[in-house]
Amino acid sequence: MTGSRVAIGRSRGIGDRPVLLVGLGLAALVVALIAGVGLGSVAVEPGDTVAILAHRLLGLDLARTWSDAAETIVMELRLPRVLTAMTVGCALAVAGATYQGLLRNPLADPYVLGTASGAALGAAIAVIIPVRFVVLEFGLLHGLAFVGALVSIYTVYRLSRVTGLAPLTSLLLTGYAVGSLLAAGLAMAMYLSGAALRQIFIYLLGSFDAATWSRLAGALPIVVLGCAAIMLRARSLNGLLLGEQAAVHLGIDVRRERAILLGLASLVTAAAVAISGLIGFVGLVVPHVVRLVVGPSARAVLPISAIGGAALLAYADLVARLLGEIPVGVVTAVLGAPFFLLILRRARTGYEL
Amino acid sequence: MSSRSRLVPSQIPFGLLARGMTVLAAAVLAIAACTAGSTPPASPASQVPTASIVSPTSAPPASPTAAPAFPTTVTDDEGTAVELEAEPQRIVSLTPAVTEILFALGAGPRVVATTDFDDYPPEAVELPDVASFTAVDIEQIVGLEADLVIAGGNFFNPPESIVRLRSLGVPVIVVYAPTLDAVLTDIRVIGTAVGLGDEAAEMADAMQAGFDDVAQASAALPSPRTFYELDATSAIYTAADGSFIEQMIELAGGDPITTGSPTDFAIPLERLIEADPELILLGDAAYGVTAEQVAERAGWDVMTAVRTGEIRPVNDLIVTRPGPRLVEGLRELALAIHPDLVLPSAEPIPAMP
Amino acid sequence: MSEPIVALDGVTLAYRDRLALRNVHLVIAPGERIALIGPNGAGKSTLLSVLTGLLRPASGDVRLSGDPVADLDRLAVARRVAVVPGVTGLPFATRVEEVIALGRLPHEDPLRGPRPSDRAAVAAAIDRVGVGHLLGRDARELSLGERQLVLIAMAVAQATPVLILDEPTVHLDLRHQVGAMELLVDLNERDGTTIVAVLHDLALASHFFPRLVLLDRGRIIADGPPSDVLTPDRIRDVFGVDPGFVRLPA
Repeated sequence: MTGSRVAIGRSRGIGDRPVLLVGLGLAALVVALIAGVGLGSVAVEPGDTVAILAHRLLGLDLARTWSDAAETIVMELRLPRVLTAMTVGCALAVAGATYQGLLRNPLADPYVLGTASGAALGAAIAVIIPVRFVVLEFGLLHGLAFVGALVSIYTVYRLSRVTGLAPLTSLLLTGYAVGSLLAAGLAMAMYLSGAALRQIFIYLLGSFDAATWSRLAGALPIVVLGCAAIMLRARSLNGLLLGEQAAVHLGIDVRRERAILLGLASLVTAAAVAISGLIGFVGLVVPHVVRLVVGPSARAVLPISAIGGAALLAYADLVARLLGEIPVGVVTAVLGAPFFLLILRRARTGYEL
Repeated sequence: MSSRSRLVPSQIPFGLLARGMTVLAAAVLAIAACTAGSTPPASPASQVPTASIVSPTSAPPASPTAAPAFPTTVTDDEGTAVELEAEPQRIVSLTPAVTEILFALGAGPRVVATTDFDDYPPEAVELPDVASFTAVDIEQIVGLEADLVIAGGNFFNPPESIVRLRSLGVPVIVVYAPTLDAVLTDIRVIGTAVGLGDEAAEMADAMQAGFDDVAQASAALPSPRTFYELDATSAIYTAADGSFIEQMIELAGGDPITTGSPTDFAIPLERLIEADPELILLGDAAYGVTAEQVAERAGWDVMTAVRTGEIRPVNDLIVTRPGPRLVEGLRELALAIHPDLVLPSAEPIPAMP
Repeated sequence: MSEPIVALDGVTLAYRDRLALRNVHLVIAPGERIALIGPNGAGKSTLLSVLTGLLRPASGDVRLSGDPVADLDRLAVARRVAVVPGVTGLPFATRVEEVIALGRLPHEDPLRGPRPSDRAAVAAAIDRVGVGHLLGRDARELSLGERQLVLIAMAVAQATPVLILDEPTVHLDLRHQVGAMELLVDLNERDGTTIVAVLHDLALASHFFPRLVLLDRGRIIADGPPSDVLTPDRIRDVFGVDPGFVRLPA
């Protein structure tokens, strides 16, 4: 019986060729970058675009055939915007995959534990209180959105530990309760906001309109380091696939890993929503699509989701821009909702927490 | 015993990817540092246009000894000091009122873009749109090489966009006129900013005279309790305390009914019934609201104005828009309140075609 | 005398308001094959949890190969003891081979993932347990019995000196029950894996396990060969049934 070569089941196609997959993903990112920088409401000659990039990024000394306006558009408006969209997409996708693995729930997304409501309430409060505060282009809005997201997830986590329920059930239900409370607070804030209501609304819909280099420089380290830290813990996420009991017996310190992964995923989510507002569906749908291709192992899902999320949001933002500055959250919803229905159809009944 | 058997989940060359991400992130941060440090391209305001722009068609300035008007610094309604190096030749207006003012002053030929909800004068409607109710197309403004943008305060245009434009080196003047005096101040400020200070002073003076005429003419007459309906499709909206409309009605010879709060534009029906208007002015007449409809509303028939049929439409645009047609609006309002009123003939506001 | 691979000494554990284990003393030598038997609520599963360090006893000593289990972190325990988990749901579509590969988690390089040795262990486990015909299928779509076999394969892939099973045959038909038992015998006799299994089926237990440990109400009542442990009196007293119901091998 032993020693014979066992035929292993059907191959997953490209899912079994990780290097090729990563290569394709990166290629998609590069295309998104080029398209994002080259296209917009103002027509810039492709030749000029390339020349500007070569001059500013690579330091090449070229004859200046482009206008100052074109240079501003490419370097100060489009480039940071595309990179911000990629950063946020990466953060949301990785956070979404992490939450789904942690909560063992395919319907989880980065906002399921109250992060969205907390960030929105923080932003709304920042809009209505008559204090102007800007540090390195981070206004009160970004700061309070970030803080709001983290405070809400921390509250949910601590409260969930006190209930008598199983940890996962407790997290989800507490998240729902706290999220509802915060949403009520948000509604109140919007009611009191008067003329500033539109600002809050724009935040809720999510956009990359206000992307700047400084904001990107602030959020990028958090996202990159946070996502990398999560990927280093892929083993723990895999161990949770069969549940807490099995994970413990496979050598995973479940309590500790859960807290760490929850914290990291919330951190990158908070950074993302702070600079872009609430963009939905990316965190929910990207990990699922990735799993269809590479399987459920976090070692594959996390990196490919990072690339996939970055590419998706970059393309979504491009579409949003070209369609006349509609909020990017609308584009992701239109793309994501059909996928979401598909996921629901494939979900199994008889699934236990 | 084949090395091709795939037994375990796909294995991403994780180490490679992590290193790649870090390098990429470092590169982006480096770019951010470089571009944040470098000054933005030369401010469009200082560019000398290659083709000469048609000068304003107004009467030539009389004083030959006038000191050069530029460079100058203008303080806008938010207290921001805006520096203008040369006379602006490519002006962008982000509110319909500002558009009207610019054209009335004679700066129309120098206006390169307006909003998508501008409606007067007809030439303005033809201009490219760079703003909607919710968003400002910064890319287009930069692409048009605007050297002056005039925006609306109090969240009329998203404050974020104003900040962004300024950070890109575009001078932005923010105007907000909650009173009639403020409208005249704005006209003067805008006039100074575009190099038509004398014309603006003349226009402001003439408008003030027009206001005074109406005030005088209606002073002797009794002031009916006047309800100005902005909108009544859901809640009832009218003049807030200390608002523009309240001022206009008072000046026009009416006794305005207000909401009782300086920030809230909604009035409960009970309060309105208790105030018992003697005259109802339909500012929403342009949206199809008629006197017959008003009379049929439940609970409204108890009001004096409804019983006596004193319900008249007014052109809301010229009554509430803080621009050069305000005198016309005030006159129309005065006549709506006292149809038999005799007004001195209207002086044409200088510089209007 | 070699170090016992599992040693419980004077273990007492309180659970809610009663004593789940009372002064339990159990020594298992490497290479043994023992079955834990007893009525519901006797404390069998609790004993297993204490053995793996999941539950801390109020008093007493628990050692794995001489090391106090309280001093070992989860990873260290997982390299010594594999536990076949109960059948649970899976949140995502997961292939059978991916489930089995989870058994290698304690051995995998945390950064680089599975090594060739890990892949070989998984292949060997698939072979031993005989689930090759299930490969490539979504584990969520298997029958309960098939899933149970897959989980056994996962624990086998973990390749630890000690293998623990809590009622591993609950969902299996007779043929597979016997097959599983024969597998355990094979693992034990050929590889020297120490096996500790909780079983309800006394016939299976006495047929396939040379040593039975009988628990009742938290106490070890008897410990030894089946013929010594499963006397008619014991069956009547502990299980409360007519001994004639239990068919024991001659």
